[in-house]
Amino acid sequence: MKAKTDSYRKNFALIISFMVLISISLVLALILGYNLTKKYIENEFSALKIDVLEKTIAPYNTLFQNKIPEISFYQGFLDSASAEKYADTILKSYPFVEKVLFYDAQVSNHPIEDGLRIGNFSVGIKKLYQFGLNINQKDKVIFDGKKPGSLSLQSGDEFNKISLKIASYIETADTTKPLNSEQIFRIFYSIVNNKISYMNIPRRDDIKIYQDLMFKSGNTSPVYEQDVFSFELNPSKLKIINNHPQLYRYISIKPLSYDPILEKPKLINTDIALPGPFSDYKIYFGSEQEFLNKEVNRRFFPIALAVFVVYLVLAFITFLIYRNLNINQKLFSLQYDFINNLTHEFKTPVSVIKIAGNNIMNAKELSEKEKNHYGRILDEEADRLNDLMNKLLSFTQIENKAIKINYQDINLEIFAQNMIDTFQMKYPDYVIELEIIGLNTFSTDPVLLNSIFHNLIENAYKYASAGEKKLKIKIYRLKKEVAFSFKDRGIGIEASELDNIFKKFYRIQSRYNQQGSVGLGLAFCKELVNFMNGKITVKSKIGKGSEFEVILPYDK
Amino acid sequence: MLDCCKRYILVVCFIVSVAGCVKTTKVKQVSIDTFFKDPQQSFYHISSDGKYLSYLKPTNGQLNIFVQSLSDNKVTQITKLNNKSIKYYFWAGNDKLFYMQEKDSLDNYQSFIVDKDGINNLLVKTPPKTKVEVIDQVIKNNNSILIAVNDRVAEYFDVYKLNINTGERKLFIENPGNIIRWISDDNGNINLAVGSDGVNETIYFRSDNNQKFKPVITNNFKSSLSPFGFTNQPNHVYALSNLNRDKLALVDFDCKTGKESKVIYENPDADIMDVVYSKTLKKLAYVTYEINKRQNHFLDDGYKEMYGQIRTLIPNQEIKILDNDQYENKFIVRTFTDKNPGAYYLYQSNTNKLQRLADINPQINEDDMCEMKPISFKSRDGLTIHGYLTIPKGKKEKDLPCIVFPHSGPSQRNSWGYNNEVQYLANRGFAVLQINYRGSIGYGKSFKNAGYKEWGKKIQDDIADGVNWLISEEVANPDKIGVYGYGFGGFSALNQIIYNQKLYKCAASYSGYINIFTYLKGFPAYYKPYQQMMNEIVGNPESDIDYLKYSSPIFQTDKIKLPLLIAQGGRDSRVNVNETNQFVKELRKRQIDVTYILHESENHQFRDMENRVAFYKQLGDFFEKQLGFEK
Repeated sequence: MKAKTDSYRKNFALIISFMVLISISLVLALILGYNLTKKYIENEFSALKIDVLEKTIAPYNTLFQNKIPEISFYQGFLDSASAEKYADTILKSYPFVEKVLFYDAQVSNHPIEDGLRIGNFSVGIKKLYQFGLNINQKDKVIFDGKKPGSLSLQSGDEFNKISLKIASYIETADTTKPLNSEQIFRIFYSIVNNKISYMNIPRRDDIKIYQDLMFKSGNTSPVYEQDVFSFELNPSKLKIINNHPQLYRYISIKPLSYDPILEKPKLINTDIALPGPFSDYKIYFGSEQEFLNKEVNRRFFPIALAVFVVYLVLAFITFLIYRNLNINQKLFSLQYDFINNLTHEFKTPVSVIKIAGNNIMNAKELSEKEKNHYGRILDEEADRLNDLMNKLLSFTQIENKAIKINYQDINLEIFAQNMIDTFQMKYPDYVIELEIIGLNTFSTDPVLLNSIFHNLIENAYKYASAGEKKLKIKIYRLKKEVAFSFKDRGIGIEASELDNIFKKFYRIQSRYNQQGSVGLGLAFCKELVNFMNGKITVKSKIGKGSEFEVILPYDK
Repeated sequence: MLDCCKRYILVVCFIVSVAGCVKTTKVKQVSIDTFFKDPQQSFYHISSDGKYLSYLKPTNGQLNIFVQSLSDNKVTQITKLNNKSIKYYFWAGNDKLFYMQEKDSLDNYQSFIVDKDGINNLLVKTPPKTKVEVIDQVIKNNNSILIAVNDRVAEYFDVYKLNINTGERKLFIENPGNIIRWISDDNGNINLAVGSDGVNETIYFRSDNNQKFKPVITNNFKSSLSPFGFTNQPNHVYALSNLNRDKLALVDFDCKTGKESKVIYENPDADIMDVVYSKTLKKLAYVTYEINKRQNHFLDDGYKEMYGQIRTLIPNQEIKILDNDQYENKFIVRTFTDKNPGAYYLYQSNTNKLQRLADINPQINEDDMCEMKPISFKSRDGLTIHGYLTIPKGKKEKDLPCIVFPHSGPSQRNSWGYNNEVQYLANRGFAVLQINYRGSIGYGKSFKNAGYKEWGKKIQDDIADGVNWLISEEVANPDKIGVYGYGFGGFSALNQIIYNQKLYKCAASYSGYINIFTYLKGFPAYYKPYQQMMNEIVGNPESDIDYLKYSSPIFQTDKIKLPLLIAQGGRDSRVNVNETNQFVKELRKRQIDVTYILHESENHQFRDMENRVAFYKQLGDFFEKQLGFEK
């Protein structure tokens, strides 16, 4: 008994410690997860600003890479009407373009007043137009080449800058090679604060002609058309696309010098400089700590949930292991019990045989009466041992399904009467009544049926007080089954025990136990009946008796 | 397991046998090199006395002149150029040859006179960046030929007499400013000239050297009057004219009255392409025209008889006379068919003997080539459009993968005959459709002028109508049609997939115009009338800006959705490489599958044989891939 309690306690401690361990892990995982999420959000806060920048600057990039080079496709053929059309599409699709200036430029070797002249190469302005959403029709022309000298310094400056670039390129151009994209960017674009100017790229043949104009003094040349556009940009009209609203609460375009520390000291902030013509500005991002915490919580929730689910699963598995251990523990104790009882069971006949043996050995001579007496005792005890061993063997066999049902037609009356005769010979005080209704023969395994009869008849005798050893056996036909009823007037079984009596190794603790049974009989019967596809039930009243009913299928 | 193996082996056997079957029915694929390599011997000429033959042949990768004696077949290499080819040459008399080299890196064309044995190589001295044009090859008195040089003013060609013995040139007539063509008579006098302001052509005439040129008649660029020689009657010239008629006709024109005095030959369906004049007989020999195939109309019975004799000697071949000696006894004859690039022959009319000189491309086997059939269909607005359909050999005329191949120009045409690009594509298993859409020449002036300002519209409609016709005839598999073209053809290919996307699977453009503004810019800025003409033919870059944007693929990249192949030369003066780069960039940004072949050193047409062969290989592979061909 000591070993049993020891092992039980040990398992429990193990499970408790395991539960503690996983609970600690749970807490650790939650803390760690929260901190990592927080760190991650902080990293994202500073990393994803590039994403916002890219999205915000995307329209500028299309303007720069697609719409501005389109000017070259017109090959200098643009005039006020078509330039206005072009400018309108720009102003409409790119709200950050405030004003478009169109210099209808002319390249020639004529001396000019406004524009640029290097050697004989002059780039003059035929007309200068401005287009914008708030510019009236009459204000569109801001300079006319027919009225020289009226060009404002600012517009002239922009034009001269790009003309100078072209002129210096033409001076050294190698017309045998096509322009590469790096050269195009350097020569035909002029990018200053909030302003991009662009001149349409002349064809290689035009550049050759321009070179000739520059270096050869000759007759008055024809006039070659070039288009120069200047785009005035307003960075504050760039549409900010906050594709991470959960990270950035405030996004705005600010001058590079902007520092929020005076206005909002507790704000978490970061910034990124704008490219190209907007390089004096930056995109500024800010969020309160609480705002970010909300996001941390939002991200952390599913992680916590997952950790918790894992924890619950582990706990449930632990519970199942605990339950299995418990059941095994009980089974172990039952078997232990059984061996104990069995030992006692074997001890009785063995000691009787030993006494009988000693008596025979010690007697000088045996009278006829004594010889018969001891012979009977030995014979009976040997039978009892044999019976015990048979039961054990059959039981294991049936449990392992090692036997087969051997069907035979039996005459029930002869079969039952033989059994009754055997018992009445054994126990002369045993009164057994037999009643068979509605059938004569039955197809079944006589050996197995015999075992059932034997056990039930034996039990009824054992668990009955002297003088009440009476049994009524009734066999009758149901629809497709045959019922065998064994009704005794024994001591009866407590209602609480009814569920247990068919269990293996189960024995009702009572004074009748000493009758020489280990409670294997009913379990054995149940195994047999189940094996024969039947069922066994019991009804009982304490002091009045019990009725066992076995129902077996009539047809095989 | 065993069952499984068996089944596997069976399947393998089946595949092998099917593959075997396919292979046996498949026409032999001719290698790309065979189609596109330079010919060995070409540009045959015969000396005036008929004793020597000359031809161009590549040595060191450049074309050089070779002279072959007809008496002992001795061959002499006359020129030994190794960095540029001969552009042009002819016999100046019996003993000398005049030749012009290709442009050098400084844009100079240099001309020389050389003896027929290769010695005495005389440079015709001209200032840099000038050009020599030959007016009359025939030696007149003083051992001189007539040339024109633009050394005084770049745009004006003055007439010089060039002494072929000394290489000296002497000014003969100064260009008053607008003459673009000088026409000499048999005596070496120039009394006829064509002047132009870029749009309108005026014929000038004078009765003798001492008088001044007087304008005779002026015509607009939409019609044509082109004199080419004097008749036997004083003041009368032969001319090709479509004044007051639709088709170019051969006429006799009176320069005194400025009137057409009679029509010599007129075909109701086609323009006259060529007129051959016999200098010996002083008589018109024959004219040629082409509706479906090239046709000759003989004006001289002797020539007609000779043609008949050559035809019996070389049956089933088209025949062209390229050159002859001054006695019109020995002729250089070239043959061709749709399946055969042809050969050069020497024909002697007095003995009726024919001698084969060289094959244009001896590796082409006529039996492997595909038949070209003239076709015609009605356009959606009722015009009859002619074209040619080449069906891959060994295939049924049904459900074929097809390539539409619009010609460049647009004022050119496809003709019946051997075409290496067509045969290459047909040999790869494609039916090839060529279309002489409106704007093409040879079918009269109204058909040609119908293409004006319709580059992006009605011309494209004609091409699409051709494709629809091909589908309705069930020749083409409507799911396997591609379009390919060069120059204007490439422009058309791009326009087709922009505006008729549903008809096609893919397109290939070889130096295709992608921007008409750039095309227009390619014409001189200072010629106002010329600009006006271009404005009418192509479109006005200022007032027709919407149409030009509509037609220029570079403005329509967002409409392109099909796989493209684009080939571009870095030095192309008509298609700006920067624009093509930009075009490809934008398409690739939009995830369009663009195969871009860029050769920095190439021009509008790829000159280097390796580049050319590589291009055609990629072109073939591209169509095989896109039109779902299993190799």
